[in-house]
Amino acid sequence: MRYIFKFPDIGEGLEEGTIVEWHVEKGQTVQMGDPLCTMETDKVVTAIPSPKNGIIAAKFGKVGETVHVGSALVEIDIEGVEGSAAVDEANKVEPLEEGAGVVGTLEVAGNNAVLVASKEGVRSEEKNNTVGKKALSTPVARAIAHDMGVDINRIKGSGPAGRVTKDDVILFAKDGNKQTNPAVVSGETNIHALQPNLVDTEPLSQMRKTIAKNMIQSKHNAAHMTVFEEVEISELDRIRKKYKEPLAAEGIKLTYLAFIVKATAMSLKKFRALNSEMDFDKGVMLYKKYYNIGIAIDTEKGLVVPVIRNADKLSVKEIAVEINKISDKARDGKLTLEDMKDGTFTLTSYGSIGGLFAVPVINYPQAAILGIGRVSKRPVVKDDELAVGLVLPMSLSVDHRIADGGDTARFVNSIMGYLADPVSLIME
Amino acid sequence: MFNEYNPLKKTIFQIIDDNGKVINKAWMPDISDDRLIKAYKDMLFARTADLQIVSYQRQGRIYTYPPNYGQEAISGATGAIIGENDWMVPAFREMGAMLAKGVTLKELFLYFMGYEDGSKFQHAKFTLPISVPIASQLLHAAGIGYAIKYNKEQKVVFGFVGDGGTSEGDFHEAVNFAGVWKVPVIFIIQNNQYGISTPTSVQTASDSLAIKSVAYGVKGIKVDGNDFFAMYKAIQESVKVCLEGEGPVLIEALTYRKGAHTTSDDPTKYRTREEEEAWDIKDPLKRMKGYLKSKKLWSDAEEEKIIPQFKEEIDRQFIEAENYGPYPKEDVFKYLYAEMPDDLKEQERQYERFLQWKAAKVK
Repeated sequence: MRYIFKFPDIGEGLEEGTIVEWHVEKGQTVQMGDPLCTMETDKVVTAIPSPKNGIIAAKFGKVGETVHVGSALVEIDIEGVEGSAAVDEANKVEPLEEGAGVVGTLEVAGNNAVLVASKEGVRSEEKNNTVGKKALSTPVARAIAHDMGVDINRIKGSGPAGRVTKDDVILFAKDGNKQTNPAVVSGETNIHALQPNLVDTEPLSQMRKTIAKNMIQSKHNAAHMTVFEEVEISELDRIRKKYKEPLAAEGIKLTYLAFIVKATAMSLKKFRALNSEMDFDKGVMLYKKYYNIGIAIDTEKGLVVPVIRNADKLSVKEIAVEINKISDKARDGKLTLEDMKDGTFTLTSYGSIGGLFAVPVINYPQAAILGIGRVSKRPVVKDDELAVGLVLPMSLSVDHRIADGGDTARFVNSIMGYLADPVSLIME
Repeated sequence: MFNEYNPLKKTIFQIIDDNGKVINKAWMPDISDDRLIKAYKDMLFARTADLQIVSYQRQGRIYTYPPNYGQEAISGATGAIIGENDWMVPAFREMGAMLAKGVTLKELFLYFMGYEDGSKFQHAKFTLPISVPIASQLLHAAGIGYAIKYNKEQKVVFGFVGDGGTSEGDFHEAVNFAGVWKVPVIFIIQNNQYGISTPTSVQTASDSLAIKSVAYGVKGIKVDGNDFFAMYKAIQESVKVCLEGEGPVLIEALTYRKGAHTTSDDPTKYRTREEEEAWDIKDPLKRMKGYLKSKKLWSDAEEEKIIPQFKEEIDRQFIEAENYGPYPKEDVFKYLYAEMPDDLKEQERQYERFLQWKAAKVK
């Protein structure tokens, strides 16, 4: 049996902690009470002991990374503690929550973090150079030092008991810093520090860090190729308008998106490459037989991608209900990791805000992402006559390592077919 | 004793040295070997449990916890003396004394898990719940003392507070009135050197905390709180004084909080490793063990054997507490007053409405 140990609130109302050190390896046997890792929180630096006897099946997060309270820290296999077979088994297992199909708030770090996760990570390395000398300081001094990129432990404090004050930090940044240790602060940050009115320096939020990391990971690993298409959807529009009112009476908002999700899920069933994942290291393709469509949603804090599960089995109406649900949750900031994991394909409908075509970035390690542009009335040719059509622009990015041009085009054609003739959505 | 160790003389009452050797034979209490071994085991059990609880807390299995680590002799000596019908009025760092009264570990776990039932002791009589509002409990202790005197009972109240608590108005009011009324209360200040991060040196301008007894006109004594024998003797004498109607007594027990203030505190931010090491030499269990070993009453082998048994028992009680199930919602409201006042009843109704709303929303 697998037990996922989530980082507990070990203070009173803590939100996050930074991993200082791991004390266990994957495959290692642990007893209850054995230290798993050392965490630094706002309150304390402390070892986090294991709550179970078992074998470490997965660790989440690297040294220097921030872990939110309630996020997975380790996964423990609490059966089959004995025997090396169990250890092998544990080694085989991929972390359950890794790459959980979230662009935004994926709080669990992936294996191939290509960025240094945060400034904290850098700082903790520096800390090793100044072992044990933790400066006494005021909170405002710490905040300023952090913003200026100054290691506060190098500053000699002038306050009571050698406490480092705000003025000490500013003075240090101005005079001492460059001479004593030019490596600590890059020239650029220093200029900003000296002319603070020119630039607003703000620490990266956890969400922004994760978005950045995932975007880079995708661009770095997937071979992006994008195809653009337009589909005329007056028939879809007519149907939508017809059912909009009755569904609104039930509290359901019927959008084009519900139809697009359905059309996508049905097309994915025909072209399995688009619903797959490549594990290059192991030399295998993973073709998924479930169709979970992630919907990229713009929130105040950043981009999140909640997932509509088994969209192929849902009716358009059911999909509309799900979309309503996850949009509400996203807007209220109530999405959980559970809502966002296990996506197999992603839709991004930027067109509801603006933009016709785009080159969407794949939600790695998925194989493709479909961008929906702004729907507009445009001249179209129908039966060799010029007519007013309702045109929906689509941009499909695929991982060209996985999907070849032919399948990609056929997949787009399939979606277009369903959307141009919506009745076909219920004919299969 | 209270003349010889009058706090004005600025002496500290001590019986054994740092290695457990008796250096003050005149005041060495007469305790049977069995009683001594039991007291040591109780202290060891409390320490084992204490360390275990901090680990549970770090596993996210129990909420904030204030460790007793390093202060076990004070509770240990209290526990060895306190009678079934004496009153125990704790602050929140007296695990050993509470266990001696008959409070179970499970009940303490329930308390720190947020259950009201963690304050409803099944077996411990005359024991007040843990009191977190600093020094407020001393007023209760003085009041209980007054009731004992009024009813002409032969009982003593043990009221605990920390060094930080002596800066509260409640401390002053309690000791002052206990002195005026001459009630049988033993006030025990666990001076563990810090009120969270505030050192005693900036807590008071007095030479000691015990010396405050002089101003209140009550007996007082400063005791080495890491010396089980000194604590035992001082408490024994205090009980005698109280039962003779000459109470109260103010004991300052000098000790050191080896752990953090609570699990939300990091002592490395305000004290040095050197200071901690200096106090390690005075560790109360180490010193008592030194004495017991010299008398061939205890061995490291016995200790190694018994600790796993303790751990097993602690785990057993913890798991029972973990599986206690949800508490009834009225628990939140019903224990403050014998009869619930209207505004509290209204709050309970509001809370019920909130839960209904929440249930509907989540569906």
